[in-house]
Amino acid sequence: MGFEVITSPPTNQEILELGLTACVDGACLPLKAFVGHVRFLVNRGLELLFVPQAISVVPGEYTCTNLLGLPDLVQQYIPSSVRLLSPALDARKGAGKISFSYLRCGLEFASALRVLKAWQTAQAAQRQVDTAPKANGSTGRGLNILILGPRYLTDDAYLNADLMGKLAALGVQVTAAAAFPDSITLPASRSLAKRPFWTSMRRSLGALEHCLHRVDGVISLAPFACVAEAMQGVMVAERTAKTECAHLELHVDEHSSPVGLVTRLEAFCDLLERKRRG
Amino acid sequence: MRITFPHLGNAYIAVESLLRGLGHEPVTPPLTNRQTLERGSFHSPAEMCLPFKISLGNMLEGIDLGAESVLMIGGWGPCRLGYYGEIQRLLLEALGKEVEFITLEVPRGNYSRYMVHLQKLTGSTKFDHLRSGASLSWAKLNALEELEILALQTRPREKKRGATTGYLQYQLEQLRAAETVQEVEEILSTASRGFLRLRAREQNRPLRLGVVGEIYTVMDPFSNLRLEERLGYLGVEVVRTISLAEWVKNHIFKKALGLYSLAPLRRLAAGYLRGFIGGHGLESIARSVDLARKNLDGVVHVLPLSCMPEIVARGILPRVSRDHGIPVLSLMVDEHTGEGGFQTRLEAFVDMVQRRVGRLGK
Repeated sequence: MGFEVITSPPTNQEILELGLTACVDGACLPLKAFVGHVRFLVNRGLELLFVPQAISVVPGEYTCTNLLGLPDLVQQYIPSSVRLLSPALDARKGAGKISFSYLRCGLEFASALRVLKAWQTAQAAQRQVDTAPKANGSTGRGLNILILGPRYLTDDAYLNADLMGKLAALGVQVTAAAAFPDSITLPASRSLAKRPFWTSMRRSLGALEHCLHRVDGVISLAPFACVAEAMQGVMVAERTAKTECAHLELHVDEHSSPVGLVTRLEAFCDLLERKRRG
Repeated sequence: MRITFPHLGNAYIAVESLLRGLGHEPVTPPLTNRQTLERGSFHSPAEMCLPFKISLGNMLEGIDLGAESVLMIGGWGPCRLGYYGEIQRLLLEALGKEVEFITLEVPRGNYSRYMVHLQKLTGSTKFDHLRSGASLSWAKLNALEELEILALQTRPREKKRGATTGYLQYQLEQLRAAETVQEVEEILSTASRGFLRLRAREQNRPLRLGVVGEIYTVMDPFSNLRLEERLGYLGVEVVRTISLAEWVKNHIFKKALGLYSLAPLRRLAAGYLRGFIGGHGLESIARSVDLARKNLDGVVHVLPLSCMPEIVARGILPRVSRDHGIPVLSLMVDEHTGEGGFQTRLEAFVDMVQRRVGRLGK
């Protein structure tokens, strides 16, 4: 659309520090990191900051509650010279609403045709990312592990202390819940007594139902003090206990140590291997 | 059917009447106490919030008293409360408690499950019986909130310290025993005269502080360490912004008819929040602005640890405070909140507000 785009690098120590020192306490790690990214970008001198208000991305579901208030929260940490661009993404009444909202937001800056073209390019680029085969670690030990959790944790190698990389180094094949499209996780989550109304939780539980008999173990990754994830933990624990699938719960916050994580992962993998051998 | 339910402040008085009207026997768990919380916490995941743990504790105590069913409210997001019932059902099942779980919520998909719940609840009750039970319950709910508000106004003005709390307790017991709407009205009129008698004749204007925040921790005295009472004894008149009767009216009746609108709240919160963020986040901001405009002396914001919408609100409240010149104190509560520290913070806040009011010559 003719903008010069500045993006922040993947989360690092400096960015997280920026978030930790400003963000309201009680917020979860990903939220603090997000505020860090915002402050990092603002320091680079920009005029317009894109922070959409993602209310819902799948009809009948919500994203995390934190995302509902994200633009308003971020507003507290940016100078008045920076303008927030926050289209409301609300698919509760149909997925088409999201495209409409993006288009309307863009019309302020460019002609309809140009906005439409930009939107199509963006969608194509996103599809390419979503369908790209993911490097899933090695098959060295023949172990398969499913990682459950919100995407902003499973995809952020700094926040999850490079969980995927560490598992790969241990010779394990890893799949994240985000790798399963809604066409798989939606039907799979129907077997639950009550369908979860958060997309991330429904996706994780759907992926779990789908993979339950195909993987050796399940790791749930959750930010510390996230109640949605705590509830998910109860449901995962119940399902995995019934099917005798091994389950490891990992909670991360700014005080987590990567060393402790490695120890736990090694122990978990050893356990899976022993279990497999019978 | 013997039905138990989690506590929320004094709402049990109204719930009991409602269940009786439906032809059931209510099994009211003992009022929430330390033991309830300890039991609830023991069986909950560590990161669940305080209301979840307390209500699970209530359920367990109700089951001990011989309840066959548990009544809980549900919902479809974004507040996580909507999923609490489901998780508590799983936890009780894992504990080997054989109880029926009845979740009250707007049906979505799975209608058959919902109809089964409704049928179990209404059973073979006659319509007349049901109607009188419902109207009694509604009258009690309104009356108990009115009594509580009278107590809030009396406490900072009372002659004898502690008299208000005792009198309120007495009237609530009367209300609990009342069997007709007329009795409820009589209790209310006696009580309003009674509370007046407890007041000292001459008085300085007490400080007026509004309380905003997440509904459970605002309404439930156990979870907020009897915040309203503490403030009252510090000479503060507490102004409530949340009412359970109002909540029932808005979220159950008006919403079902599509008459509930967030527009007035949204107007108040304009410039701070663009709309609904789940839970009572929008209310917390909007009501704080409203309280500032009504010239109150300060705002106390209560939230359970890890409550997401309220954390967003908490991040924004300092700006409301600056813009509108109203002091705001945010208090996060969980099972580890210590009374001493809590009291100290309240005293410091009240002192600060008092000095500020004196300086401004209000």
